[in-house]
Amino acid sequence: MARQFMKGNDAIIVGALAAGCRAYYGYPITPASEIAQAAARHFPALGGVFIQAESEVSAINMVYGTAGMGIRTMTASSSPGFSLKQEGLSYCAGAELPCVVVNIDRGGPGLGNIAPEQADYFQVTKGGGHGNYRLISLAPNGAQEMCDLTVHAFELADKYRNPACIMADGITGQMMEVVEIPEADELKHDHSDWCVDGTPGTRKNLISSIVLDPEELEQHNLHMDRKYKEIEANEVLFEKYKTEDADLVVVAYGVVSRIVYSTVDAAREAGMKVGLLRPITIWPFPTEAIRSLIPTAKHFLAVELSTGQMVEDVRLAVEGHRPVHFYGRCGGVVPSGMELEEQYRNILEGGTES
Amino acid sequence: MAVNLKQLTQHEELLTGGHRACAGCTGSNILRQIMLTAGQNTVVGGATGCMEVVTTIFPYTAWRTSFIHSAFENCAATVSGAETAYRALKKRGDLPREETGRKNFIAFGGDGGTYDIGLQSLSGAMERGHNMVYVCYDNEAYMNTGIQRSSATPLGAFTSTAPAGKVKQGKEQNRKDLTKIMVAHNIPYVAQTTPFHWKDLATKVEKALAVDGPAFLNILMPCPVGWHFDTAIGMQLAKEAVESNFWPLFEVENGVYKINQKPKERSPMENWMKQQGRFKHLFRPGNEAILENIQTYVDEQWEKLLKLEEMTAK
Repeated sequence: MARQFMKGNDAIIVGALAAGCRAYYGYPITPASEIAQAAARHFPALGGVFIQAESEVSAINMVYGTAGMGIRTMTASSSPGFSLKQEGLSYCAGAELPCVVVNIDRGGPGLGNIAPEQADYFQVTKGGGHGNYRLISLAPNGAQEMCDLTVHAFELADKYRNPACIMADGITGQMMEVVEIPEADELKHDHSDWCVDGTPGTRKNLISSIVLDPEELEQHNLHMDRKYKEIEANEVLFEKYKTEDADLVVVAYGVVSRIVYSTVDAAREAGMKVGLLRPITIWPFPTEAIRSLIPTAKHFLAVELSTGQMVEDVRLAVEGHRPVHFYGRCGGVVPSGMELEEQYRNILEGGTES
Repeated sequence: MAVNLKQLTQHEELLTGGHRACAGCTGSNILRQIMLTAGQNTVVGGATGCMEVVTTIFPYTAWRTSFIHSAFENCAATVSGAETAYRALKKRGDLPREETGRKNFIAFGGDGGTYDIGLQSLSGAMERGHNMVYVCYDNEAYMNTGIQRSSATPLGAFTSTAPAGKVKQGKEQNRKDLTKIMVAHNIPYVAQTTPFHWKDLATKVEKALAVDGPAFLNILMPCPVGWHFDTAIGMQLAKEAVESNFWPLFEVENGVYKINQKPKERSPMENWMKQQGRFKHLFRPGNEAILENIQTYVDEQWEKLLKLEEMTAK
């Protein structure tokens, strides 16, 4: 298996190519532009298409068009651009079109800055556009996962006919690591039962999200809801590190989980029983995995690059059985290991609550 | 309207030094020259873009006048809102007396924020007839995010999303003629200029601000980072863009075209392009046809412009 040293953003395109995606539509934005640039370099050379759209709105709607043809397709952006894509994503979800959208989260709100944040968590996991829908949301914490989870996102998107999102942060996008390049998937996927590609067999198909009759739209929503419940039951991914005997279970995803990993052992050496639960899918959220730790854990702590978003899902999982603490930095500030260890100490030694 | 250099230099600088534009940037000259002409009584709107980023690094601002930042796609809408609110307040008599004089409303956007993502809001603002000037500083690509192509990028230019290699030779499309799109809005004043032609620029800013209704200025902005040239020659390239007819100086006042400078003998595009790294690959063997296409396109556009001037002459 080939190994290569590359940026997390480039690894997204390696994953996309391995997944058989050959249609990329993008628009420049820091810190996600490398994804479009890598697509511009590789997609046309492999017989695929790369189009730089005139806006994010156009890019996501080009994705809508290509997905409607039954072809694997994607777009990528960063927070302000991801906001502009919400209408298109709502249409993709409503019309049940599979696609992959990448959000390299940066500081907000407004134009914010180009430093890493995780403050788009609500927008990504709760359905950022209008209507009853969800994005299947995967949160890589390194270059290898940027690649592998992109492959997985295409599979899940096809399996459930729903948009899937890679939610990463500016650091994970920009940092360089060794990536093992996966084997390539099939290029052709048969979606003739629903796609519209101009062939006689698909002429009966209709791609639309307008359902004027309230009873029918309710049925459509309930159908989608059943699909989302199925995803919640079957597609949760997470990782546990020394949670079995942990008094304090830290819940963190993306780049923050990397920092927490490095503090767990140090904290244990200092006599604090700390463990990490890392959601890999942030929707569906690993609610059951967190709940299963209630009997052994005394405290939960959510650490995020936000003022407190994922912590709400941790609280919903813990349901008041244990205290759920929160520690966050935002605006592009990333907490240090020492900073986190101090939080653990405060919680476990009953110090001031953060 | 005669613009006098001596008088201009006595005006207050409204874009201060200490901003973070790149070495050799010609954009800050564009902003300074416009503001010298416009004066203090101006509300400036800036779309996300390089000149917005380098002049307003929070909590600092290089602007000595009101400045409002907007998203990439909607500066024309933001300034429409400011201008409309000002008119409404004035009409209601809700402004202090000293504030009821003429105010300038100027929106700045780069080519990405104007030709591409901002075109919808620009078109809307021009059609509604707001009393505002929209200035596009056109460096012919998305320089702020790492040199991606825009619809202002000329044919053959290398960008990070229109790369040159074995398969492709840079951008495969000609640039959009935005100035003419703005002319088609039938607004009172549309013009094209460069920062090298300071007198032409200042005159056009004066005219644009003086008209009753919307005006649009398209200003070529040589960019050392994205065009890959020596930081000393930015102004030289602005001058030569006009001499080669790549970027003619012209204005359209109430539908009447006027070419402000007609080169006695147009210089070949190759001379201009050879000084810029973004066209380097076009001088490799095998790309002669692309060079020829570029020259033909520029010549054809120039001929059309001459005809438009002739047709609309009064």
